[in-house]
Amino acid sequence: MSGRDAVRCGLTGGFLAISLLALAAPAQASLGAARATVEADRAHMAASRVSRVSSTYAVDVMALANGGTVKEFSRPDGTVFAVAWMGPGRPDLRQLLGSHFSTVQTDNLRRGPRTRRPLTVNRADFVVQSGGHSGAFWGVAILPGATPAGFSAADVR
Amino acid sequence: MLKKVIALGALILLSACGGGGGSGSTASSSSSTSTSTPTLTNLVSVVVDQGPASIDTGPDAYTSNNVAYVSVKICAPGSTTNCQTIDHVQVDTGSVGLRIFASVINSSLLSAMPTESDASGNAVGECYQYVDGYVFGSVRKADMTIGGESVASMPFQALADTGVFSNVPASCSAGGGSNLGTVSDFGANGIIGIGVTTTDCGSPCTVSGGQSAAIYYDCPTSGCVSIIARAASESAPFQQLPNPVAAFSVDNNGTLLVLPAAPAGGQSTATGTLYFGIGTQTNNSLGSATVYTTTGLSSPYGAGVLNVIYNGVTLPVSFLDSGSSLYFFIDTTITPCPANGEFDGFYCPNPALNLSPTIQGLNGASVAGAFTLYNAQTQFASTNAVVPGVGGNPSIFYPNVDFSNSFDYGLPFFYGRSVYTAIEGRSAGGTMGPYFAF
Repeated sequence: MSGRDAVRCGLTGGFLAISLLALAAPAQASLGAARATVEADRAHMAASRVSRVSSTYAVDVMALANGGTVKEFSRPDGTVFAVAWMGPGRPDLRQLLGSHFSTVQTDNLRRGPRTRRPLTVNRADFVVQSGGHSGAFWGVAILPGATPAGFSAADVR
Repeated sequence: MLKKVIALGALILLSACGGGGGSGSTASSSSSTSTSTPTLTNLVSVVVDQGPASIDTGPDAYTSNNVAYVSVKICAPGSTTNCQTIDHVQVDTGSVGLRIFASVINSSLLSAMPTESDASGNAVGECYQYVDGYVFGSVRKADMTIGGESVASMPFQALADTGVFSNVPASCSAGGGSNLGTVSDFGANGIIGIGVTTTDCGSPCTVSGGQSAAIYYDCPTSGCVSIIARAASESAPFQQLPNPVAAFSVDNNGTLLVLPAAPAGGQSTATGTLYFGIGTQTNNSLGSATVYTTTGLSSPYGAGVLNVIYNGVTLPVSFLDSGSSLYFFIDTTITPCPANGEFDGFYCPNPALNLSPTIQGLNGASVAGAFTLYNAQTQFASTNAVVPGVGGNPSIFYPNVDFSNSFDYGLPFFYGRSVYTAIEGRSAGGTMGPYFAF
């Protein structure tokens, strides 16, 4: 009754993700990296970009061709500490989450009752929340230890 | 238990094939059959049971919870003999399109169902995202019959198909989550998405490089790499996968899913009915149901979402979804199941909680979407397929902050209700879809 089979399949997927990550490394961005990498994300997604900068943090809002939106949040020192998405398809999380993508994959091996659930990550230094259904997805990936003073979680909604 | 599953499967098969829909080799023959037969055939039997027999075998055996299944008949285009009835196809009001694992299709039938071709003359592949992962496969054409309704030469996705489709493109897996590439991973032999849109992607996929939940690929023998444009045709000739209901010649404005009430402790199985059309026959009128309109495809939130007001907060990206097996919502005051245990991420209130969020359509109509939330650990202790009142929190993990903007009413909400799902741009019972009604 357990989800062992899913675990095995998930691990295979994880290895695949890691190897692809290595291949794609030079173009990688962005979560945890410098804000300058946001431009690579924008180019990769062929998105338009609008930036809002406050004394607390900067938000780069990218509009995707499919009508979806990706927001990247950067600290005043330039580190991207959160990425949020909403739209008809999940965006390229391998690109947007960089080295953290493999954590998403390995932490979403199914467990317990075989119930299909949104992607989540629960770590002290990395959290992902997501939801939706086919045609309408949203989520946020955040580095809790890197959020700047004055940042409110409501800002990423 | 296995015996029971097989017996139920046989029942469904009888029901699904007894309607006289025929092979559906032409739309007109189907139409005349439906309208001239005194016994209504715009319906198919639905079962909530332990799932395909194949998932309950071997060391990793498990059984399904809160998954509604139907049987769907597919035939090689134009053939009335090269056909197969696929049991345990999941009914999903939260997605669109028919998808069946290639592994459960007879090889003689699979090879007789041609792949769709793109402008380069290459086969078309598709990636389709779910909330927990993705599937990849070919786009093939079949004559499909469900209950007494049929569609000729309808594109469907042959999941985890062989050959060039056996390699998942990097741009498909980049959306994250698991490759739901086997019947065991998926929990069904296939899925029939009957949500609020007419095709599985719409305008995003009509531009080269476009995507939504659906991503279409050009698949020459060297592999599927380029993301291609596919037209969002609601009728033949199709390109994107249509909503099968929208592609019917009649009863094509939506569905009505009727499931019996479930006892608090759950029960082994349940049977209900999926009716096609809204207000098109004597068995699918809206009656006293209230309409709650939803967003359409042009919304930044996607199609099929409405408001739920929970603890005074409006959650604008909420929805009803027969393809979700739980209530998914965030309430950090409800006792979660033990962290890092088998039930991590579920709610474990003790005693049970009576919750009453308000469901509000974009038309302003609102209702108390009341339900009882039980302890998931207790509820899942048996092999009951029908497990009412179980909830999951997609984000218990960051309890000091609540990013929530969504309340997902999964299949448990459908128990004991008649839920209508109307398709965007189709008038249904006097109101233009998209909407939910109950």
